[in-house]
Amino acid sequence: MIRGIYAIVLLDLKRAWLDRARLVAGLAQPLLYLFVLGAGLGASSQQGAGEYRKYIFPGVLALSLLFSATFAAIVIVFDRQIGFFKAVLVSPLPRYAIAYGKIISGAIQAFIQGIIVLPFAPLAGITMSFGSLIELIITMAFASLAFSALGVAVASRFSSTTVFPIISNAMLLPMFFLSGALYPLKNAPHWMQVAAHLDPVAYAVDLMRGSLLDVFFFPPALSLSVLVLFVSAVSWSAVGVFKRGEDDSSLGATQFNWRR
Amino acid sequence: MVNEHSTALDNLAVHVKGLAKSYGQVQALKGIDLSINKGEMFALLGPNGAGKTTLFSILATLRTPSEGHARVLGKDVVKDRDAVRQSMGIVFQEPAIEKRLTGRENLELMGLFYGLTISKSKSRAAELLTSLGLEEGADRPAENLSGGQRRKLELARALVTDPGILFLDEATLGLDVDARRAFWSHIKGLTQTGRTVFFTTHYMEEAEVADRIALIDAGSIVALDTPRALKARLGGGVIRLTTDDDVKAKAWLLEHGYTCENSSKELMLIHPDPASVVPELMRNLPVKVKRVEVHEPSLEDVFITLTGRKLAGETSASDGRGKGGKWS
Repeated sequence: MIRGIYAIVLLDLKRAWLDRARLVAGLAQPLLYLFVLGAGLGASSQQGAGEYRKYIFPGVLALSLLFSATFAAIVIVFDRQIGFFKAVLVSPLPRYAIAYGKIISGAIQAFIQGIIVLPFAPLAGITMSFGSLIELIITMAFASLAFSALGVAVASRFSSTTVFPIISNAMLLPMFFLSGALYPLKNAPHWMQVAAHLDPVAYAVDLMRGSLLDVFFFPPALSLSVLVLFVSAVSWSAVGVFKRGEDDSSLGATQFNWRR
Repeated sequence: MVNEHSTALDNLAVHVKGLAKSYGQVQALKGIDLSINKGEMFALLGPNGAGKTTLFSILATLRTPSEGHARVLGKDVVKDRDAVRQSMGIVFQEPAIEKRLTGRENLELMGLFYGLTISKSKSRAAELLTSLGLEEGADRPAENLSGGQRRKLELARALVTDPGILFLDEATLGLDVDARRAFWSHIKGLTQTGRTVFFTTHYMEEAEVADRIALIDAGSIVALDTPRALKARLGGGVIRLTTDDDVKAKAWLLEHGYTCENSSKELMLIHPDPASVVPELMRNLPVKVKRVEVHEPSLEDVFITLTGRKLAGETSASDGRGKGGKWS
């Protein structure tokens, strides 16, 4: 079981390493938000460009985690089309090990992307103590797991490499915009505040922002419990999808399904 | 009594009883019984749509039967699926290696998937690369290997857990003759150590290496024997004729007491003594003979007489699914 999870993680990380250019390209989006959107919007905000940039830095970090975790999950959709996974599926490796392995490997990839964004914090005008850095990193780890679990749970339900990216964008952007990553939730309209309560990204952003700037919208204990609950619930749902593939009648086909 | 029975079963690599599989209305398998001994090299032949893939997939735990049961190395393919998987190796028709990773990485990962420890899977990978002569390209991405080497790597992947039975599904498809020969000589070597090999192929000459061959058609096994015995069933030799007017020639032949097989392209006769009868045919046939060929019966001939079809792709004019013909 542990060995199986390790094998899946190792496989994914080896493949991701071959695509390491992605890590550099993955910087473009967060930096664009931080320094272009941040400068443009910030200049018109009451806080001023400098303060605004500081404010959105945790949000941009979350954005980076969210998108790289989802991108890592796309591999699941591609895996159905490559034969190697056929060989994995006829091994006695339990299906839940595949699901957990996928979640962990996606989380690691997202976390690494986030760590690469982190050095830009001083440029955004953020100074942090060692303590808040540790808090931030722990939150990032939880957020990576949460976003990766979400990515895996959604990706495993799609077999089309063209449909999944569209669906995921349709989910990701609302989650990102409602999360308060780019503006303070406490000034937002009431309905947005309500919606933010349903958005796991909002809790992750809030925790990260809290650890850096010491302003919270949600109580930190609530955010942490929501993230933990979210990770367990969504992982459980992802495992369910992989388990439904127990009857392998689709393995004979060129393209096979995790579920039947 | 009971014990004797179970020992007999213990020596079987594959034991299939009353196996049937339906996809909706279509009956892909109609009650198959089959026993394969340990260490046997067993070929399953049949035209497309005959049930070959279905039978193969059920034995390799990829599909579940609708009726009957199948045991592989004494374990039920449904109830003890994971135990069967642990003790089998499989080479698919399509590539099942991650081609961007090296051969070594592929094998090491596969070892981990089968529950080997990290160090065990490393040493197993090295061992297999050596025994299959793949060391040279072992640390290059698999996509840079030649077709033959990649197939060997597939075989190495299937052998990672030192399986008691190996399933090969058209494993040499697309390889050149040399690479195929190398592949089969290695497989033959594997059976020396008591491994069972169960394979399907489209290349008739490959089936010759099997200890026994099962011919499957329309969901039933229509013949099951050694290659030699199968060919001997035809007796004598095979005469193939191409004439100006095959229909007329066939009518003449039937009239004069010859039986023609249902071959689609040419006239095919099986005769105990072809050498003596060919001159007579040439002299007496009322049509111009364009080509005549006499040869020992091949497995292909056996197949045609049984099913009225060639093995690879061609279907008989009358009915796509075909019916088992009679022995002449």
